[in-house]
Amino acid sequence: MVKLEDIKKEAKKVLEEGKVKYLIGYKRSTNGLLAAPVFISDPKEVDQLIWEATCVQNLSRFLVDEKRKKAREKDPDNRPVAVIAKGCDTRAIMVLLQEKYIEREDVYIIGVSCENAGVIDERKLNRKFKEKKPEKVLFEQDNFSIATKHGKIQVPQEEILAERCIECKANFPVIYDVLVGEKITRKCDNYFQSLETVESLSPDARWDYWKEQFDRCIRCYACRSVCPMCYCDECVVDSINLAVTVDTTAEEKAQKIRWIEKYPDVSENLFYHLIRALHLAGRCIDCGECERVCPVNIPIRHLNKKMEKEAQDRFDYEAGLDADKPSLVSSFRDDDPQDFIM
Amino acid sequence: MEKIITKQSVPEWIKKLEDYTIYAPIKNEDSWSFEVVEPRQPEVIDLNYLNSSPSPKKVVFPPKEVFFEFTGSIYDRMELKETLPEGRPQVILGIRPCDAAAISRMDEFFSEDVKDPYYLTRRENTILVGLVCNTPPSPNCFCTSVGGSPHGKTGLDILMTDLGDDLYYVESLTQKGVQIMDVPDKPFRQAKSEERSKMRKIHTDSVKNITREIKDMDTIGTRLDNVFNSSLWEEESMGCLRCGICTYLCPSCHCFDVNDEISSTSPLEGKRVRTWDNCQFPDFTMHSSGHNPRPERASRLRQRIFHKIRYSQQNFNNYLCTGCGRCVSNCPVGINMIEILNKI
Amino acid sequence: MNSNVYLPEPAKIIRIKEEVQGQRAIKSFRTQFLNGNRFSYQCGQCAMLSVFGKGESMISISSAPNVEDYLQFSILKTGRVTTALHEMEEGDVIGIRGPFGNGFPLQEWKGRNLTFIGGGIGLAPLWGLLHTAVKNKEEYGDLTLLYGARTSKDLVFRDELYELKKDIPVHLSVDTEEEGWDEFVGFVPQNVKEKVTWPQNSIAITCGPPIMIKFTILALKELGFEDDRIYTTVENKMKCGIGKCGRCNIGSHYVCKNGPVYSWAELKDLPQEY
Repeated sequence: MVKLEDIKKEAKKVLEEGKVKYLIGYKRSTNGLLAAPVFISDPKEVDQLIWEATCVQNLSRFLVDEKRKKAREKDPDNRPVAVIAKGCDTRAIMVLLQEKYIEREDVYIIGVSCENAGVIDERKLNRKFKEKKPEKVLFEQDNFSIATKHGKIQVPQEEILAERCIECKANFPVIYDVLVGEKITRKCDNYFQSLETVESLSPDARWDYWKEQFDRCIRCYACRSVCPMCYCDECVVDSINLAVTVDTTAEEKAQKIRWIEKYPDVSENLFYHLIRALHLAGRCIDCGECERVCPVNIPIRHLNKKMEKEAQDRFDYEAGLDADKPSLVSSFRDDDPQDFIM
Repeated sequence: MEKIITKQSVPEWIKKLEDYTIYAPIKNEDSWSFEVVEPRQPEVIDLNYLNSSPSPKKVVFPPKEVFFEFTGSIYDRMELKETLPEGRPQVILGIRPCDAAAISRMDEFFSEDVKDPYYLTRRENTILVGLVCNTPPSPNCFCTSVGGSPHGKTGLDILMTDLGDDLYYVESLTQKGVQIMDVPDKPFRQAKSEERSKMRKIHTDSVKNITREIKDMDTIGTRLDNVFNSSLWEEESMGCLRCGICTYLCPSCHCFDVNDEISSTSPLEGKRVRTWDNCQFPDFTMHSSGHNPRPERASRLRQRIFHKIRYSQQNFNNYLCTGCGRCVSNCPVGINMIEILNKI
Repeated sequence: MNSNVYLPEPAKIIRIKEEVQGQRAIKSFRTQFLNGNRFSYQCGQCAMLSVFGKGESMISISSAPNVEDYLQFSILKTGRVTTALHEMEEGDVIGIRGPFGNGFPLQEWKGRNLTFIGGGIGLAPLWGLLHTAVKNKEEYGDLTLLYGARTSKDLVFRDELYELKKDIPVHLSVDTEEEGWDEFVGFVPQNVKEKVTWPQNSIAITCGPPIMIKFTILALKELGFEDDRIYTTVENKMKCGIGKCGRCNIGSHYVCKNGPVYSWAELKDLPQEY
């Protein structure tokens, strides 16, 4: 079992040595069950760190913010940022490195293995255990241990494990500077099982299903904001304003096309989500955050998972696992399938 | 008017309100939302709900609204067709007192000085039937800290209390409330005095059950002013993803955007639409020149909290935040307004 | 105007005059309502101009309120809506909503000396005020105008400025040396320090790019002007014009409603977030 003390030790060490600007980790949140990201620059504060089954966030997302912040500073501190990363999170870092968005020297990865466990799906937990008022969810050998006011409840993993952990392809960090925990591969028979329910529907039924889902979308863009791969300064939905500087001419601003209207209509919502899924094809590493944060519970992960399946079936490509492979959408091989072009 | 209705008779009551569009909490998998209920299918209503996500403000302040349609040509003349809402009578059934208080804050805001005809037409034809929170729907509820209460009556036309024993205590507060209780073959009966006492006790207990509070609210205004320029905002907003969940789920956030959307260029046809907008988005305040008064997340987080607590205090003498706790519970990175206000 | 404050009133452009050409083009538009109405307004107030299909833009009315035949707007080409406006021709139809905002408190200034300080396009919001004061010269003390721009080609209302010199002192300036320029060379705040005299019984009204306003106010304070004798206008991104959409606020004030005219005494107490 991964010991929290080991993580704290690594964190303290790297902060004391002054090798990094600050460390991004997980701390206990004040608003609910799940952990919250914490930014530590003082080595004495590493006691805030936790390592539990509620550490769901993908902390590599903050590397994108860090890069943007550095770009605005005149004299930036060029030391790397330390980040505590689970297997899936390191895949995200790998993709950012493959796409040359960040340099290897910009990040110090403290990889933590999930050791055949994973993180919880809060909705699954609430369905079964809400009345017990869970306060913590800890790793306990092959189970989870839910701590409540009235004692601990042992729960077999499959009951509350997140879908993306069941279908995980990186049970331990694929790239790291230090590794805490052992490299244990989790067995999985079908990496795309969650797609089966919807795939079994007829095309008409599928269309109705998705139309109903996207009718609820309020275009809060939480799914986009939480994704580490959505780092474009000028996203297709904000083509009007975001990349404007003092030197942009009036004509340039006037000619920017509004690809999607701001009006949250089903047609615009579908367009946004489908474009986003296409832009993430071969890049999404299935951290599942987009679906977790959606305030109206749209199964967004589904679309991205389908694109992941396509990338694997057609091009034999899996994002963020092999540092030597270039990114899927920026390379081609002579033997790539072409039957759909002719 | 104070009456009793059994839980089984509530669908019967709803069926009789044929002239109204009824919005009520309906469960979809893991959460509830306020949707239109077919008058013949009132059984889908779940009044044992906690609180909905998003809030019921969409009934009076929809996420998308057309101001007017235009056709014509700029070279010749432009025809404008105003598209005010029809003002169909509607009822929001089972709204929590915090959400109703938020709607009444919006009423004040949209009718102050220059009136907003779109919002007001919808609002005047909406009846709010509230449901008391016997226990707080969320562990992050803090309505009592911002001048509200789990049995508050602000903005409501009827207040319902769950007495247990499958009974609701129904109290009408306005003429509109009396009107919709006045249905043929009344499913209501007169309330007994012991039921009234039980209702009062539930109300008193409900206030005690609230677990979170913001301390020293009477000095919050000056304390906020003192920290306007502090580095506190930078630290608190480090995790902010500018995702917009806090503002979109908030029952009293009402900032909007106005855009022209064209469906044809010649002849020029289109409409001017209002959509929800979000002060946490980076381009919310960005000028055409590229200058942005609030370029960092710190200033935007500060703007949100000041708007909810300080500026509303200065402009309207009450708090725009009504303590529903949705922003606290749903923030993906755990930014917690209650904690921030308790720190300063 | 309309009972529905969001509905614009169609108006025709009756005259377009190019004031400044090039990248930072400025054009003055004169408009007349199609149904022959007119609205009454105060100096300093603004209106929302709609280009149907593109959007709206809040522009200050630069003609004086006593002018009955038209409303004049002087517009800098900077984005979507303003570029579309610049591409329009005389006779084209736009929409106008207004008037919005507070105006200059001209009544309170009777009997005082008024010093107008403008920079670049910033002369436009002051133009109506200036002309109203000049027309009613006897009600005020000494009137002076200081106005500067980057180059002589960036000065707006050029012909009218030279006409104005006959009535009141007008001190022009350009930022850098230029052939054929015989007036002040330097930034407007520097010109202020040279030309503006003792501020007894004087009000200074300034408008221009944010950086110019900042240094002009510093210069005025050095000369002895008190905070409540310095006035300026603020701009922010606006969408509704009536203080409802929530984006133009500075603290608890909405610039489209409680502004855009502010005295420095009021403005310095608001959060400096604009």
